Amino acid sequence: MATSLEFEGSLADCATVNAAQAKEREDGKLVQAVKLGDRSAFEALYRRYARMVHGILLSRVPHGAVEDLVQDVFLAALPQLGSLRDVSRFGGWLAAIARNRAMDFHRQSRPSAEYSEEAESASENHAASGSGGAEAMVILDAIRSLPEAYRETLILRLVEGMTGPEIAERTGLTHGSVRVNLHRGMQMLREILTEGNTAARARNAKQRAAE
Amino acid sequence: MKGGEAMSKSIEERNEYLWDGTGEPDPEVARLEEALAQFRHADRLPEFPEALFAKPSVIDRFFRLLWAPRLAATALTVLAATACAILLFVPKSPTGTRPGWDVARIEGTPLVGTKWMGGADPKAKLEVGEALVTNGDSRATIAVADIGEVEVEPGSRVRLVQSSDKRKRIALDRGTIHAAIWAPPGEFVVDTPSAVAVDLGCAYTLHVGPDGSGLLRTTLGWVGFHLNGRDSFIPAGAMCPTRAGTGPGTPYFEDAPEPLREALKTLDFGTASAESRSEALRTVLSQARKKDALTLWHLLSRTQGEERERVCKRFAELVPPPAGVTRDGVLRLDQPMLDLWWNALDLGDISIWRFWEQTPASGAMPAVKQEKDRATLKKAR
Repeated sequence: MATSLEFEGSLADCATVNAAQAKEREDGKLVQAVKLGDRSAFEALYRRYARMVHGILLSRVPHGAVEDLVQDVFLAALPQLGSLRDVSRFGGWLAAIARNRAMDFHRQSRPSAEYSEEAESASENHAASGSGGAEAMVILDAIRSLPEAYRETLILRLVEGMTGPEIAERTGLTHGSVRVNLHRGMQMLREILTEGNTAARARNAKQRAAE
Repeated sequence: MKGGEAMSKSIEERNEYLWDGTGEPDPEVARLEEALAQFRHADRLPEFPEALFAKPSVIDRFFRLLWAPRLAATALTVLAATACAILLFVPKSPTGTRPGWDVARIEGTPLVGTKWMGGADPKAKLEVGEALVTNGDSRATIAVADIGEVEVEPGSRVRLVQSSDKRKRIALDRGTIHAAIWAPPGEFVVDTPSAVAVDLGCAYTLHVGPDGSGLLRTTLGWVGFHLNGRDSFIPAGAMCPTRAGTGPGTPYFEDAPEPLREALKTLDFGTASAESRSEALRTVLSQARKKDALTLWHLLSRTQGEERERVCKRFAELVPPPAGVTRDGVLRLDQPMLDLWWNALDLGDISIWRFWEQTPASGAMPAVKQEKDRATLKKAR
């Protein structure tokens, strides 16, 4: 019988795994409580997952529409909780709802042109007004031009301030996937921003020469 | 090392800051973070409509509870017995609109508020702030909203402190109650003069003596017993004493060896010398069976230094620590590790408590109305 307390692995790894497992269990308990009509449990889930949902939406829809859609996602999730068989998968399940909601948003807004390109641009420019606003919009646009997996992960990291382990735990992705998405996404973003700067410098130089 | 692993390792080394914000900040990443922070989620909690949180019916909750296989058989027995008792002894409750809980007399003449329950009037309503008092030959049952039932033994005094959707709270000033609750964990709370009992889905008996000391015995599920940061978890078949001024003692199974139980009294509430205390601990450790790991787990946080090391060693002999639990972590009372080890006892997932302890029951409720209620009782008599 193993009676020794000398265990495998570093304390840091154990702590990470423990924390992830504990959070998963805690999610399960919260979900169960919500199913029983517990409002505070639902609010706890909201606090825990709002940033993730916000980031996923921000990678797909105009900034001005994101806050309302975050609430929509949670409101849509609540009555469907009963269909969630494995409550420990709540994060991945909610992320899927958020992605679907973003797709619905584009489907619904297309015919009415409620959020036309111009409206989007105006809304976002307004949101990004102030010091560094223009630069932030350029960066956000650059991230949105990346492949889906990269832009979502990068927004969660750079905008929402989540760490890689948090992103993995919340979205249900593996640590390896998140690492690769962050690394490759960042590499592509650097290239885009460098190209953009080069093009901008070339445009400015051309303009100055013409003057 | 495979190519993928090598690449992943390389990525890890070069991107620690990008990965988890540790290490030397990558200037470009930091610049992007700063620029993009304005798009971050506002962290405001929206107003969700109350109607969304309509609670499922008692029947729904009952059947959900039944899905927990370990509780099913006992729950059925308890509920069947409760149903029989209700059918036999409790007349149909009036459909009053006053807030409060229905009380049914079982025998004698209990006092509810200022009203004596006699033979001609066997039912009453216990309102928030009122007390139910049973004398030496009277007993009564309280229907705890729609979440359970409390039977009040002779010689008891119970006050209804709170009755809201999220929290049902009574205070047991003295005497004995038997509670059978099928609410979500943490919803039903009992204050006593020396500890607060938080229902975690269970049936239990709680006794409070004239000096405020208490004893809790769990018959189904488990109960959290706490005061001033001192927590005890009492699973089915176990009991836990409590003392005014100290709080809950160390829980033990009812069939634990007598020497172990006696030694626990010394450890929990005694004022013995260091030598006697050490001897008591030796007795506990030597007498402990595998199931008494319940007791040893609690002793980890109630001992210090060399005593804790002895407890930890014996605990590991009885229940090998699961992966992720280290000796150093346990000795410094690392909570996630202690929780992991608790879960290895298979007595119930402690995360239930970790979640519910954030909102419920702070300390025991002061007996604010006690004197006033006593005067009322005297006057009524």
